Amino acid sequence: MSDLKQIPIHAEGDAGGDPKSEGLFTRVFDELKAFCRSRSLFMLHYCTGCGAIELPPAMTSRFDMERLGIQPMVTPRQADILLVTGYVSIKTLKRIILTYEQMGGPKYVIGICSCTVNGGMYWQSYATAKVLNEYLPVDLYIAGCMPRPEAVITGMRQLMENIRTGKADNWKDYYRRYDHYLGNQQQLFGERWQTPTDVIGEADHYGLAGPETTGPHTALLQQHQVPLQPLEMRLGSRQERKP
Amino acid sequence: MTLLDLLLLLSLATGALAWLLGRWSGAGVLAALLYAGQLALLGAMDGSAAASPTFQVLGQTIAWSLDPFGRFFALITLGAAIASAWFMAGEWGRRYTQAGHSLRALHGALAINVLAMLLLLASTDLVSLFIGWELVSWAGFLLMAQGGAAAVRAALRYVTYAMGGAMAVLGGTVLAYAWTGTLDLGLLAERLPALEPGRLWLLVALFTGGFGVKMGLLPFHLWQAPAYAEAPGPGTAFLGAISSRMGLFAIALVLARLVTLEGLDGLQILPGQFGVRDLLAWVAAFTIVLPTFTALKQNDARYLLAWHGIGQGGYMLMGLVVGDAMGSAGGLMHVFNHATYQAALFLSVYAVIHRTGTADLNRLGGLVVRMPLSFLTMLVGIIGLAGLPPMNGFVSKWLIYRSLMTEGMPLLFVASVIGTLGTILSVYKLIHNTFLGQLRSEHEHIREAPWSMTGPMLALCAIVFVTGTAPGLVLGWVADAQAALGLPVLRYTLGGVASAKGGLDMLWIVGVLFGGFGVGALLFYGGGGRSRRVHQLDNYAGGHFLSADVRYQYSDNFYAGLMHRIGPLYRNAFTWLESALVSAVDLAALAMQGVYRQQAPAFLLLMTAVAGLAWVVL
Ligand code: SF4
Repeated sequence: MSDLKQIPIHAEGDAGGDPKSEGLFTRVFDELKAFCRSRSLFMLHYCTGCGAIELPPAMTSRFDMERLGIQPMVTPRQADILLVTGYVSIKTLKRIILTYEQMGGPKYVIGICSCTVNGGMYWQSYATAKVLNEYLPVDLYIAGCMPRPEAVITGMRQLMENIRTGKADNWKDYYRRYDHYLGNQQQLFGERWQTPTDVIGEADHYGLAGPETTGPHTALLQQHQVPLQPLEMRLGSRQERKP
Repeated sequence: MTLLDLLLLLSLATGALAWLLGRWSGAGVLAALLYAGQLALLGAMDGSAAASPTFQVLGQTIAWSLDPFGRFFALITLGAAIASAWFMAGEWGRRYTQAGHSLRALHGALAINVLAMLLLLASTDLVSLFIGWELVSWAGFLLMAQGGAAAVRAALRYVTYAMGGAMAVLGGTVLAYAWTGTLDLGLLAERLPALEPGRLWLLVALFTGGFGVKMGLLPFHLWQAPAYAEAPGPGTAFLGAISSRMGLFAIALVLARLVTLEGLDGLQILPGQFGVRDLLAWVAAFTIVLPTFTALKQNDARYLLAWHGIGQGGYMLMGLVVGDAMGSAGGLMHVFNHATYQAALFLSVYAVIHRTGTADLNRLGGLVVRMPLSFLTMLVGIIGLAGLPPMNGFVSKWLIYRSLMTEGMPLLFVASVIGTLGTILSVYKLIHNTFLGQLRSEHEHIREAPWSMTGPMLALCAIVFVTGTAPGLVLGWVADAQAALGLPVLRYTLGGVASAKGGLDMLWIVGVLFGGFGVGALLFYGGGGRSRRVHQLDNYAGGHFLSADVRYQYSDNFYAGLMHRIGPLYRNAFTWLESALVSAVDLAALAMQGVYRQQAPAFLLLMTAVAGLAWVVL
């Protein structure tokens, strides 16, 4: 349990290959699958910034996102969409990346608000990550300061359409070009940056590992990576613990 | 030699052998086999099996005979004894001896308990009932007092209650004899209902109160949880499974067989509105609700289960008091069901204690990866305790609910549902805090309990599941017991109940349930069965990075939100009442002591003067 590398990871989602080339039946089945997938989306709204305030009206009875098959979900493991709803401070970005990596594929990222596109009114800030898709593969931006629920819903419909037509597969890009994303992350967080997820191992298992999956940045990561420890857990305060 | 003679002799021999050979390593297996032999004798009986020895008191014959009602309870007693003896046959017993306890005393006490219970169950008159009652009480004390200082304190408290109860029973016996001129249960059943209501009231109050003490009926329930929880491992399982049901047995005997339900109907508080049966049903309802919610607050797994034992007794009484075929069958069947899953639960808790050394729900967690069989046992057990299909607890509770509905007692139904809600909440706490969540580093190297312990646990699980799927197996015995008690008899099938008002077929329910699982499994494994294992710390905590010094299994102060709401409702009124009573008795004793010690001469003079005056005047 203690060594992350020993954890077997089995393939999830599409295991490579171009489905379109595999005959009519497979194609029909794949299209059905994509259709169903686009009609049942669970979103984890990582509510940063101001844009979160537009979500309650979008989700509740006035605009009612649920009629599109989109529902909130409480944990990343069961969620399909990661919703980032505004400016992202550097500290928050670490959490967003951790959460994103915990989601199972296929997964989609939506950036709401101009701040996620280019930093918006925080473009001068020293503490704000400006362009979200440098760190995560964003599938869709919904710009605006802040976008109205109509815009949010329109964006959601666009994402559904992209999923149905197979265009929304940026999550594969994270595996294919992990070194690029990791490099940007390291630039922001420093070279000791790490998450518990073994992204390279997952990329291998998904069959998505490419020439850019590993590189100088992943080599740096492997130098520093500390495996997760078994848990030390006792009642009482820190002082009471045995040294 | 009749079969009952053989049974009692064998039971006596079991006690003697357990005592003599208790130190020998095979004693546990031998005891389990001997109990199994008794069970076989029980199975060979038919109709009412009488014992040969009899004697005369006040010109009345005192005799023993086991009818199907008693046999039903005897069956459960022996089953529980087998499981307990088996559990202590191996490593548990060795560890117990190494810790400086006497295993042979434990074996002996268990065997004596069984013998006492068999005697009680076979009683045919009020004297043998009283003898059995006292034996059971003191045998219980023997078993309880073996667990150390806390256990002795709890056992003494129990004895205080039990003596009070015994006095009430003795009073009832004397009055019943004075008013009817007979001690025989058969004759009493004819004469008691004809008594005038005032006398009948008194008898019902004395007997129900006296026997209710053993059952943990409100307000006599305070002793039970500590006394059971502190007993040594398998002893707790045995006591929790069957011991307090002896109270139910005796209450059922008095109410249903002697006074009869018609006789009870004659006792009204508000004529036509609220009678003694309603009163008893409400006592049962409170016995369900209050101890169950007390269980919810416990942080010791043993106490949690022991409090549930009290609460579940309420369901049994409730079913019996409703008194129709379904309700009483549900009440009686719940005795069997409760014994099976409660024993399984206690044994799994003791398996955890065996490995980790604690039952503190705040100090456990994540054990499922180390003790999967104990987890399975507890899972099956809590499904039974919560009364969910496909386990047997569901069937008996369904019968009770159903009869409450059809007999038009919606408020009682609501009370029992509230009790079930509390049960579900607290059993979730039990399994979550013990087996789910985060494994503690000090438990990294724990192994599953040995087979001598998991064996009986899994056997009990199998019984819980099989009798939940095919309740007809138990309902047969229940129907015989109902007939012996003179209650309306349930029409049952293998799968449950056939009734024009809507029956129950567990075979179908379980079939559909597992069919659903099957479809799910088919989809999952048909799709490749892809799964992925992640480290415990690779977990979602609102995006927080978890590290080894972060606790994220919230077992401490479990249900904090709920307790915030219902916490003020816990008043500890009964504990307060008990301590007030103790203080009052203390004070009176002190006063008497003072009078005797210091004012003795003056006091004696006064007494003599008063007595002399009275003599002169009169
Ligand atoms: S785009 Fe505007 S509304 Fe959205 S997070 Fe930035 S400042 Fe706030």
